[in-house]
Amino acid sequence: MPTSLFDNRKSVIHRLNPVTKLVALLAIIVIVFAIPVWWVSAIVLVVVIVPAAVISGSGGRLLSLSLKILIPILLVLFIVQGLTFPGGETILWRWGVLKLTTEGLLFALGVGSRIIVLILASILLVLTTHPGQLMSALSEHGMSPKFAYIISSTLQLIPAFSDRANSILLAQQARGLSLKGSPFRRIKVMLPLLSPLVLGMFTDVEERSTAMEARAFGSPAKRTSLIPVPDTTLQRVLRWVFVALALGAIATPILMGIL
Amino acid sequence: MSSTAVPADSKKVRNRIFIALGTIIIIATYLYLVVGQPTDIAKSSFSQAGLIAIAGYVIGAILLAVGAIHRLPTATVAMVPVAIALNIVVGQLVSVIGIPVYLDSIGTILVSALAGPAAGVVTGILTNVIWGLTLSPIALPYAVVQVVIGVMAGYAARIGVFRLFYLAPIAGAITGLVCAIVSAPISAFVFGGATGGGTGAIVGAFQAMGQSLLGATTLQGLMSDPLDKAITFTIVVLILAALPSRFRNRFPFVREYHVFGRKNQALPTLPAPAQKTADAVAADVADATDKK
Repeated sequence: MPTSLFDNRKSVIHRLNPVTKLVALLAIIVIVFAIPVWWVSAIVLVVVIVPAAVISGSGGRLLSLSLKILIPILLVLFIVQGLTFPGGETILWRWGVLKLTTEGLLFALGVGSRIIVLILASILLVLTTHPGQLMSALSEHGMSPKFAYIISSTLQLIPAFSDRANSILLAQQARGLSLKGSPFRRIKVMLPLLSPLVLGMFTDVEERSTAMEARAFGSPAKRTSLIPVPDTTLQRVLRWVFVALALGAIATPILMGIL
Repeated sequence: MSSTAVPADSKKVRNRIFIALGTIIIIATYLYLVVGQPTDIAKSSFSQAGLIAIAGYVIGAILLAVGAIHRLPTATVAMVPVAIALNIVVGQLVSVIGIPVYLDSIGTILVSALAGPAAGVVTGILTNVIWGLTLSPIALPYAVVQVVIGVMAGYAARIGVFRLFYLAPIAGAITGLVCAIVSAPISAFVFGGATGGGTGAIVGAFQAMGQSLLGATTLQGLMSDPLDKAITFTIVVLILAALPSRFRNRFPFVREYHVFGRKNQALPTLPAPAQKTADAVAADVADATDKK
């Protein structure tokens, strides 16, 4: 199981301050959800996300990863909402209780375009940003170091945990544990896998916390950064521009009276 | 919360405000989406319901996490990554074995039972944040559901649900009920009811029967969540029974609220042979096999 999708390259997008990218992602999400028409999402996709993906050089991985997530969602969305949308009136085709309606398809288009932007933009952030760097950048901006510890530590723990779970599974299978049978039986099978996993992993927590306390982990004092994350004035300005754009997007529909 | 769990912190009042504000925002979001505008929202994609659902739930969840994390002593903070990894790895393992449930909150409930609701909230939110950062961004908007699980499991532990193993599935089913209700607006207004193949088909069936979009996603959640959480709570209570009582009684929360009854409290170093089930024996054997 991969712990991070980070795609290590040296593009401009990769070198941006992680906080700038995070603010941009949040602004994009706010814009497409605040002005809920499909062509706003399409503009954001063509003007922002596609160029950013091309510049970053991670476009190929972005496409393959997001298609895997998006295709099932979009397929289900269009089939379900196209055929059973509650507000559907203009019937294009019907078969029993199922009726294909224009309203349903438009609804699916609206929701689908937003999901596409949401998924593509977040995967692009994950592909171009090292989780560790994101954590240090956020800590510099005042996030509690406990969050940074928990997230970074989990990302390192997951592979160890996965290995352990696999070896327990193999050991139990060697003792004759069968994974086949009814769903209820298979849930029972989980228990002899889980107990040793949990016991094993929780036993070293005590020592770890003593070691952390000995290094003043619980101290409320402000930390300095070992490796400062580069930031520029331009990016500082950009972040405020993104915030302004997002606020503008929230105000637009109210001012235009389209709601 | 307990006086032992609160580190000396001048920002105590600020954290209380964060927690209160987060709770209010989450409840207000739900009420606005469900009670405030019951019919018109679902009629078209031409509304800001999606934005309100995401923004309200995410801001509320973040405020709760920020308020809760300062209450956690270092020993609990060290335990949270293990619990999150447990959530994610078991959630992934379950999809491999092919059981029709999620089981992705075992770690959250375990931490809630051992270290209280605040620890459960932090574990829950960060599980979905990390899941969103690594495997699937779809998990991110649902972070608030894990908050509900953490809080409910924590208070269930306080009132002694984990003392008797047959109470756990009931508490789990109630938690699942609340989870289904809270998560329905996200499924409806952000994902249009289409979060997966099977669930999408059920939502479609309910809509064809004349339900609104929100009604359909709520009913779909009610079909799967209570069962899933009842099973998860049962698994957690069995794991807790298999843990040595010496380990369980290390936690101030467990000692203060007698999460596992009073008899362990009187003799904290006494092993609990009565709770040694067949599963626990199998687990010990497996552990020995694993260590080799």
